[in-house]
Amino acid sequence: MIKKIYKSILAIIIGHITVLKHAFKKRVTLEYPEVKPLLNDKFRGEHLFDINKCKACGMCQKVCPANAITIIKDENGLNEYSIDYKKCIFCGNCYYYCNFNAIMPSSNFELACSSKESLVITFKKAEEA
Amino acid sequence: MTNLFKTMEINVGPQHPSTHGVLRLILELDGEIIKSCKPVVGYLHRGIEKMAENRSYLQYLPIVDRIDYLGGFFNSYAYCDCIEHLAEIDVPDKAKYIRVLCMELNRIASHLLWLGTFMLDLGASSPLFYCFRDRERILHIFEALTGQRMMYNYFTFGGVRFDIPSDIIDKISVFIEDMPECINDYENIITDNPIFVSRCKSKGILTKKNALQYSITGPNLRASGVNLDFRKSNPYLVYDRLNFDVSSDISGDAFSRYKVRIFELHSSLKIVEQCISFIKNSSDEFLNKSVKPVMLNIDNAEYTSSVESPRGLMSCTVMAGGKNPYRVKWRTGSYYAVQVLPELLINAELADLMAIFGSLDVILPEVDK
Repeated sequence: MIKKIYKSILAIIIGHITVLKHAFKKRVTLEYPEVKPLLNDKFRGEHLFDINKCKACGMCQKVCPANAITIIKDENGLNEYSIDYKKCIFCGNCYYYCNFNAIMPSSNFELACSSKESLVITFKKAEEA
Repeated sequence: MTNLFKTMEINVGPQHPSTHGVLRLILELDGEIIKSCKPVVGYLHRGIEKMAENRSYLQYLPIVDRIDYLGGFFNSYAYCDCIEHLAEIDVPDKAKYIRVLCMELNRIASHLLWLGTFMLDLGASSPLFYCFRDRERILHIFEALTGQRMMYNYFTFGGVRFDIPSDIIDKISVFIEDMPECINDYENIITDNPIFVSRCKSKGILTKKNALQYSITGPNLRASGVNLDFRKSNPYLVYDRLNFDVSSDISGDAFSRYKVRIFELHSSLKIVEQCISFIKNSSDEFLNKSVKPVMLNIDNAEYTSSVESPRGLMSCTVMAGGKNPYRVKWRTGSYYAVQVLPELLINAELADLMAIFGSLDVILPEVDK
């Protein structure tokens, strides 16, 4: 019995010393809105879309698991391209399978907004004068 | 007077901080003693099996990461392996080693989260912060490698999407050097602590017979005295070329489940070390580039692929039906762990409920699918 009590007290003391040791370690958390995390180039955030590179082949539409991409074509090729962030699951298939590098990942992850409509991002071909 | 002999029915959950998701338990109590328990599952049902039927093989690939969000690589591997067998795609050796490396790091991350939340269920809050801090290092590695912290979409048919850059290999090497000391620290805080020991020893005993009858797999089964690990018994990928140990315990209580998982952390580190030494010296391709995943068309055939996930055996059955799967079936370890819960809780005290449930390492999205 005494041996058991002695063992328990020893275990608690060792535990407390370990916790104390950790208390003086470097802090790992960030104060988020002021300090932003450093993200690498592969990070799958908001899409960057280059309408001049896009050939409207429809590959991104074909591989998207959430049907978030809409392509409207006219006789000159691509007319309108839109990404619906209400549906997008950020899997990255659209840029992994794009043959023309028209759609690329970016590290912007702050996509919160106040209206549903602004979550559908539309790119339109500029009218030629 | 009559009320004294009546049992009381209470409801735990569905929104309870210790249920690791959404689980409802209907308990029948006699004072503080649990007389019966009825788990109600299905609150997180997303129809993941059904979703496969109107998507192509490639479109379904990102969705499988979401079955068990703590072990995304295991889901991806099980599904990719099925498709690779059905479409007869060869996988280069280096890709196999990268897959094992990712899966073992994922296992460490998953066990660390389990350890932190299990200790929080028992009332100890400091291990949670240490475990999350160390798990964060793995997630940073995954983010640099795959582009996201949890929903990786990294494995693809015929290999992996990107090669591992040398700076990430260096990061992993530093991590596996530091990690044994961290695990040692957790053990210093937890293993001999008298409160932890008295709350876990001989609590929630899962007998060998029950474990086998309920098809329990993974660390829960090994803690009950059956030394069955799918990596050893049916080696997939390159596990037959790797040197690692599997631990088992005979008592089957919450404490032995804890011990088995702590041992698994060490053996996973050992596997990661061996994978790194292979990948460093390999000049192999990381992806079989002859595969065209978008145009994949598989004739009617069926294949089942199994993988030892952190929560037991996970298997994926794909019945191919042309351009999209005809049927996909997932077998996940947590589902069986929830079913055995009523057996473990009979005549246990209400205060031990979360200690017993937490020790089983159940992830509810995996149960409901």
